[in-house]
Amino acid sequence: MVALDGIDLHVERSEMVSIVGPSGSGKSTLLNLIGGLDRPTSGDIRIDGRAIAGLKDDDLTRLRRDKIGFIFQFFHLLPSLSCLENVSLPLHLRGMPRRQIEVRARELLDSVQLGHRVGHLPDELSGGERQRVAIARALVFHPPILLADEPTGNLDSTTGAEILALIHQLNRTLGSTVLIVTHDSGVAQSCLRTIALRDARIVRDERRSVVRAEMP
Amino acid sequence: MNKLLAFSLRLCASAVILTAQDAREIMAESQKRSQAESQQYEGTLQVIGNGRTTEKRWRYDRLGSAGSSKTVLRFTAPPEVKGVALLVVNHPDRASDQWMWTPAIGRERRIALQDRSTRFFGTDFSFEDLEERDVDQYEFRLLGEEAIEGAACWRIESRPRGSKTSQYTSARVWIRKDNYVPVQYENFVKDRLVRRLVQRDIGRVQGIWTPRHLEMHDLRRNSRTILKFEELRYNVPMKDHDFTIQALRREQ
Amino acid sequence: MILFRLVSWPYLRKHLFRGVLTTAGIVLGVAVFVGMHAANQAVLSAFNQTVDRIAGKTQLQVAAGEAGFDEAVLERVQSVPGVRAAAPVIEAVVETGLPGQGNLLILAVDMTGDRSLREYDLEGGDEDIIDDPLLFLAQPDSIIVTTAFAARNNLRNNSRISMQTMEGPKDFVVRGIMRDGGLGSAFGGNIAVMDIYAAQKVFGRGRRFDRIDLAVNEGEDFAEVQRKLLAALGPGFTVETPAGRGVQFESLLRVYSAAVNMSSLFALFIGMFLIYNSFSIAVGERRSEIGILRALGATRRQIGALFIGESAIGGFIGSLAGVAFGIFLAEAIAGQVGSLIEGLYGVAEKAEDVAADPGLIAAALSIGTVTSVIAAIIPARSAARVDPVQALQKGKFQVLSSGENRLRRWLALVLLAAALLCLPFGSNRFFFYGGYMLLIVAALLFTPTLALWLARLLRTPLRRLRPVEGALAADSLLQAPRRTSATVAALMLSLAMVVALGGTSQSSYRAIRNWLDSALNPDLFLSPSQDMVSRTFHFPGGMREEIERIPGVEHVQTIRANKITFRDTPVLLIAAEMDRLGSRVKNENLVVAGDPDTLYAEVGQARGFLVAQNLAELHGLSLNDAIAIPTPSGILRLPVSGIVRDFSDQQGSIFIDRATYLKHWKDDTVDTFRIYIGPGESWQAVKGRILERFAGRQRLFVLSNREMRDYILGLTDQWFAMTYIQTAIAVLVAILGIVNTLTVSIADRKRELGVLRAVGGLRNQIRGTLWLEAMSIGAIGLILGLALGAVNLYYQLRMVRQDFSGMAFDYEFPWYVAMILAPIILGSAWSASMLPAESAVRSSLVEALEYE
Repeated sequence: MVALDGIDLHVERSEMVSIVGPSGSGKSTLLNLIGGLDRPTSGDIRIDGRAIAGLKDDDLTRLRRDKIGFIFQFFHLLPSLSCLENVSLPLHLRGMPRRQIEVRARELLDSVQLGHRVGHLPDELSGGERQRVAIARALVFHPPILLADEPTGNLDSTTGAEILALIHQLNRTLGSTVLIVTHDSGVAQSCLRTIALRDARIVRDERRSVVRAEMP
Repeated sequence: MNKLLAFSLRLCASAVILTAQDAREIMAESQKRSQAESQQYEGTLQVIGNGRTTEKRWRYDRLGSAGSSKTVLRFTAPPEVKGVALLVVNHPDRASDQWMWTPAIGRERRIALQDRSTRFFGTDFSFEDLEERDVDQYEFRLLGEEAIEGAACWRIESRPRGSKTSQYTSARVWIRKDNYVPVQYENFVKDRLVRRLVQRDIGRVQGIWTPRHLEMHDLRRNSRTILKFEELRYNVPMKDHDFTIQALRREQ
Repeated sequence: MILFRLVSWPYLRKHLFRGVLTTAGIVLGVAVFVGMHAANQAVLSAFNQTVDRIAGKTQLQVAAGEAGFDEAVLERVQSVPGVRAAAPVIEAVVETGLPGQGNLLILAVDMTGDRSLREYDLEGGDEDIIDDPLLFLAQPDSIIVTTAFAARNNLRNNSRISMQTMEGPKDFVVRGIMRDGGLGSAFGGNIAVMDIYAAQKVFGRGRRFDRIDLAVNEGEDFAEVQRKLLAALGPGFTVETPAGRGVQFESLLRVYSAAVNMSSLFALFIGMFLIYNSFSIAVGERRSEIGILRALGATRRQIGALFIGESAIGGFIGSLAGVAFGIFLAEAIAGQVGSLIEGLYGVAEKAEDVAADPGLIAAALSIGTVTSVIAAIIPARSAARVDPVQALQKGKFQVLSSGENRLRRWLALVLLAAALLCLPFGSNRFFFYGGYMLLIVAALLFTPTLALWLARLLRTPLRRLRPVEGALAADSLLQAPRRTSATVAALMLSLAMVVALGGTSQSSYRAIRNWLDSALNPDLFLSPSQDMVSRTFHFPGGMREEIERIPGVEHVQTIRANKITFRDTPVLLIAAEMDRLGSRVKNENLVVAGDPDTLYAEVGQARGFLVAQNLAELHGLSLNDAIAIPTPSGILRLPVSGIVRDFSDQQGSIFIDRATYLKHWKDDTVDTFRIYIGPGESWQAVKGRILERFAGRQRLFVLSNREMRDYILGLTDQWFAMTYIQTAIAVLVAILGIVNTLTVSIADRKRELGVLRAVGGLRNQIRGTLWLEAMSIGAIGLILGLALGAVNLYYQLRMVRQDFSGMAFDYEFPWYVAMILAPIILGSAWSASMLPAESAVRSSLVEALEYE
């Protein structure tokens, strides 16, 4: 079985692209390949012009660390760590001095309006709050690329809208390139570009000039 | 007719007397004729069995005879057993006491009673076979007459009296009519013949008819022991205190 | 049942390795249990058979301790009404000097005496046992060997075999070969028969017998004859059934098996922790599965039963494996237990076939299964409590309640207080063992708190070591206390045991060394046998003057040691010249109670006994208590004049003066000459002179002080060899615990580690984190284990003192054990984390992050 077949996709800097398609069409695989979590059997992926296919695992990790932020449908926060610690984790892994880490992490939690919940464990938060923590963690390095896999998939529609708005805002203010995998058409249509996948192939690449930033 | 009747009557009478009374008398006579103050000889002992023959020599001293004698038997060859001695003190009314002296260990030991049915040091004799017993310890019955190796004999059955402990249920003995020398014994356990002793080479020594070649055949093991007496003499002066445990030790 | 097949089996198949590791504790515990008991049973039954075979038709045995008694006693025994047959016996152990053949028990009997007690089959059948009985009796070098021994060593009639005797090595001639079965099969054939009078001469026994075997008249009251015999012979004699020998061995074995049972118990206990840990993790992992089952209509009870059932099946299978492994182990243990008999009888017992009987197997299986089920109770309960709705919500986790922690801490404090309260009443067995148990439970309850606290302490040094990995590792420990504490508890328990074992042996060695320094200070020791504990050979008492005349010999002391029965236990009676002994030993480390200046004189004048501390301890004796010991000429009753440290005998020793011994035992032989050499003399030269003087006429071994010490320490080593097995098991279990919990916990954290990698963790960082975490767990377990071990050692030493041998050893923490354990535990923690860490960094990230 082939998860993706003959995909040719180019995404510009600061672009915000949604990827849609039915279950099993290869959306998540595409996102994982771009983020370096998975490797293609053939073909090439370039980030900032740099091919990542030949990179060693650790180099890939470094690339991810510097350039790519991830947001997952199930948040993937570490349940035993507080919000602050979860957000600090990538900074720790980079060996940043403790004091700086804390300042930075707090800053980011503030930016997702969670400044008041730094010490809480993920279990004590609502779904939306958890996803915001995950977003804060993804952005803690100010990555030029943000990859979101069904960021609203596990949230109610109001919260989903809030999260989407947050992502849009980040895209605008930080100029990050954002790729969102979703099967929520509203989310898809909030982006200027939508790529539709079906049976492992791109069936549609649609650009629009105006979007409704705020979704119902 | 009368004569004939008289003869047969006498025959009957004598037969009656002989079966009941005279069997014991024959035995007593036999014992009496072999009686001597003392006896001494050099013995050669040959055990033939298991495809091998072993030979030992001993010197034999006996003081007294029949029921109350004392004997010392001292081995002289081969060298490994030289000096081993056996003292037997016979009692007319009970089983004998036996002691053994082993020079290499330097001490004597008593041979326990219940072991007398066992073989005498690897020969075909049992310890009991070496004892002398008084006629009073047995009951006798004349079974008839029979010739052994051409000599006419009485055939007499003996059974130990109740008080007597013996391994044998009964024995048959053949006594030569001419000189009252027993020439053959057969010992039975229940109805089975287990040992046969044949006495040969009978000659007169100092007036006593004496066999000088004994052959014991153990029928269960099918082996034979031949005992030959040399330099046999009677009435050699001997002292009572030479037949004690102390003497066994002393004569080392 | 269907649940097991549909739900449990697929899960197990997926985590087979983990399953195997989880039950490993049960396997090991059951294996040790089965191995020990099967070996004990095998050796014991072989030994009892041997005792039966040697005893023949013997119903009673008359003895007077090891010293034996005069020949004349035989007649006294024979004249007791009711005695049907009585036969004297001398037993001697000889060294065959044949490779792999060990020692031979020579049973010397009166070959011309009463043979109704024992079948030697000397004649009869087609073939004679003894080739020439006259020759056999005429020559004192005659022996009858068994068919098995003859076959093993290519012996035939008239073959010569050299063995150690009183007069040095001597050739014996095989003059008979016993048939198999009966006596011929005792000690696996390592038995020989000779004439008792020859044995008296060859083994220097004088006109003495070791014992008299007897049978009573048919229909006679057995106990009545026994009573009459005792009355006729006096208090110095014992009249017992032959089975008494087996009983004596059984009591020796009891101490041994108590110790090994303890390690099996520890292994099972630790196994319980491993199972608890695995199940707790499994319950977490299988929450959604549980949720589905619940949603499909499974009741709480069914869910609980499912987990309990899984644990029971796992425990049962583990126990089965344990039984199999145990039977395999039993072979090895049987060899060791068999050699214990050598200490008692002089000849090792070979257990022919080691097999576990159905009762033992059933016991082992149920112990293993029950342990496993108990371990699963708490996880099963929490599985039953899983809320189906919550469980089906992905990404949700249940939180640990902090109330549970507080409750546990309080409970631990209460138990600890109770344990401490038991301490002053420690001389009472109930309070002692009760307190011990409470303390262990308290320690276990405290483990999570202490582990957390230690992890917090470790955080700083870890961060200093590796800023990123160290901090992550420390955080992981702090954030998952439950995961950590199960491992730590298992580790702590096994290490506490190792420390106690090591500490006991270290303290014993220290005490024995001190004793050697102060009491065993002669320059040379003369012994009639190479093996100092064997009391088969003795020196004639007159040898002493001759030794004293040898140039360079300054001072000679004699020792005669015998086993006697004191308050129904076999103790060692040591006869020595008290004035001479007192003048040479160093009293300061030796005398525990009594006045060193007067006690030697008191004992010397037969006004008192000197007793070993362990005897006093075991029998609750103190100074001036009057005690009575049996002698061949009546009871000897004297007060305790002094108590000394002495390690001559596990059951205790009593010292009397040589003159007292001569008077009551009428035995002037000597076991050991203690020789002090003059100033400026070299022991080598004096030894040479002694050997020269007695060459060829006296069997003699001269040991220097150094050799004697080495010999005694060697014996101590032998005794502790079995502790080393226990230690090995404990360390093994500790390592197993680490491997198990780390494997399980890393598997459990697959997703978490995936997230770590996804957000930028490099492979080496993940590896380093896991390694440090594992080593931290090791370190925490090590610290707590050493601490609990320090306490455990205290209890162990008291146990030895109160219940085992009565020997009082000073408390000394075995730092060397700590030094050895630290690298072993840290190393195994590290290596245990390597494989799971590798699989964590190499596994697919996508899979790790996926929800099934």
